[in-house]
Amino acid sequence: MGNIGITTTVPQEIIWASGNIPVDLNNIFIGSDKKTDLLERAYRDGYPRTMCPWISGIYGTVVEEFHVDRMVVVTQGDCSNTHALAETLQDKGVEIIPFAFPYDSDVGLLEGEMRHLAQTLGAEWSYILDCYERLRPSRELAWKLDELTWKKNLVSGWENHLWLLQTSDFIGKAEKYLENIKDALEEVRTRKPFDQKVRLGYIGVPPIFSDLYDDIENSGGRVVFNEVQRQFSIPYPVDDFVDAYAKYTYPASVFKRIKDIKEQIEVRNIHGIVHYVQNFCFRQIEDLLFRKYLGVPILTIEGENSFELDERIRIRLDSFIKMLEDKIE
Amino acid sequence: MGKNSDYQNNKSILALDLGSRSVKIALQKKDSGIELYDYDTALFYDQFGEPSNSGFQIDFSKFGLNSKPLIKATGYGRNALNIADAEITPEIQAHAKGAIYQTGMSDFTLLDLGGQDSKIIWIEDSKIEDFFMNNRCAASAGRYLENMANTLGMGLEELSRYWENPEKLSATCAVFGESELVGKMAKGVSRERLAAGVNQQIVKKFAAKLDARPPQHLVLVGGVAMNQAITKLLAIKYQIRIIIPEYPQHNGVIGLFSENPMGGKE
Repeated sequence: MGNIGITTTVPQEIIWASGNIPVDLNNIFIGSDKKTDLLERAYRDGYPRTMCPWISGIYGTVVEEFHVDRMVVVTQGDCSNTHALAETLQDKGVEIIPFAFPYDSDVGLLEGEMRHLAQTLGAEWSYILDCYERLRPSRELAWKLDELTWKKNLVSGWENHLWLLQTSDFIGKAEKYLENIKDALEEVRTRKPFDQKVRLGYIGVPPIFSDLYDDIENSGGRVVFNEVQRQFSIPYPVDDFVDAYAKYTYPASVFKRIKDIKEQIEVRNIHGIVHYVQNFCFRQIEDLLFRKYLGVPILTIEGENSFELDERIRIRLDSFIKMLEDKIE
Repeated sequence: MGKNSDYQNNKSILALDLGSRSVKIALQKKDSGIELYDYDTALFYDQFGEPSNSGFQIDFSKFGLNSKPLIKATGYGRNALNIADAEITPEIQAHAKGAIYQTGMSDFTLLDLGGQDSKIIWIEDSKIEDFFMNNRCAASAGRYLENMANTLGMGLEELSRYWENPEKLSATCAVFGESELVGKMAKGVSRERLAAGVNQQIVKKFAAKLDARPPQHLVLVGGVAMNQAITKLLAIKYQIRIIIPEYPQHNGVIGLFSENPMGGKE
């Protein structure tokens, strides 16, 4: 019993039901004071400098700062760099447990994968379903906070990002998360609404930058939709556990994501999209499909291994927001 | 000289476009016409003022001014080093406006090829419809042309003469491009064909973005607009006349004025 590392959202109920605690290693890495050192550790051990810093960062995190004995690694539905991450960590003594999301979201295949993971971890199916129910109130409050972001303009883009992001493992302390978000909701309801005119959607993996949302808000825009972070909260109020995860778009075909994003653009009255891509990520190719199908202006920004925005990205954001402002008028 | 509503409080106007290679300046003095200047970026910061708590303080006397002018700024360095008391315009907006002033057109595609940055701005009904800006590397910008010209042992002016029979190249990187050229020269490919190939690379680099909305009217600005071969190759590719305004390198700084400072059509 102990911490089980994850590298992206997985059906965490299975981990909880096995008596273990899921730990999203992305959040440990990005929350660390020593992020740059953790990346350097990966480079020292032979990771190419051209590798995505999320991958290198997780490696550095596990080796240097937050050791885990076991990791559930998504071998389908995330990137193939994850495979080499798993292999190099296996070489460091971490037990690797693979999990594959079916590309076509096939419910039968997904249930098979889930049951296989449950068996590996020794989790009972009925207890897993019970965990799904027990996490529901936390998810519902995360959705409520998301709704207050776009419907009432009471939540900043960064807060929305953080609360939704944390649902991938509920910070390893599900009850604490529930308590915290209740307090947060109470506080935001007393606020004066944000009044930025330009409403933006953020799509793509969570940013490596910590100052992106503030910069956008200072330039007169606000992110009212965080696509993947919202997906981490499995935003589908359905009773069936397998079905809920089958609806989860991130590991599936980009067309499934496009459908979800288009719906949210409509519902949330979004003027433009910021598409974040990580350097050397295969998702950069998908940018052309977003441009083809989303029907609103898109600004694509690329993160490398700096944790703050550089001038080049600031210039683009400023110009993009100004352009949208002029269009709204 | 055009009349200008910026020309208020009897003040002169100093407009700056802070680029990676040079600082472009348009100075409108109280009682005379507009003057355009161009300084090396490092030289500008070294000789035309000094840093202060409120940003870079420009020494106005260097421009022959007795009192503080109205300062307007755009460009790459505008966040990295704020110009004290400057009114800032994002550079996409500055370039769009500059090109609208300079050409008198309201619907066109603007291609700005600078030293490090390149941008495409789609303008419809005198408004920015969309824009694209190269991301973090200077591939296919002025810096690439400079490095390639050096490798070929020619100046930028000579490089810009060759467009016929371009050699196919694969790299657009300002560093890797060199080894490719050296390899080709060793195999006996002529410098002229390689120079044409280098120019062709610039066109190819932007073709994917331009092709998405084939330009009816293409306006070319930035330092690379001086390269006649690229203009020629673009004209051939899109079968249109490429419009180069009178002051392609000062396009951004001209766009900082709230009315056309050049007194042309609007």
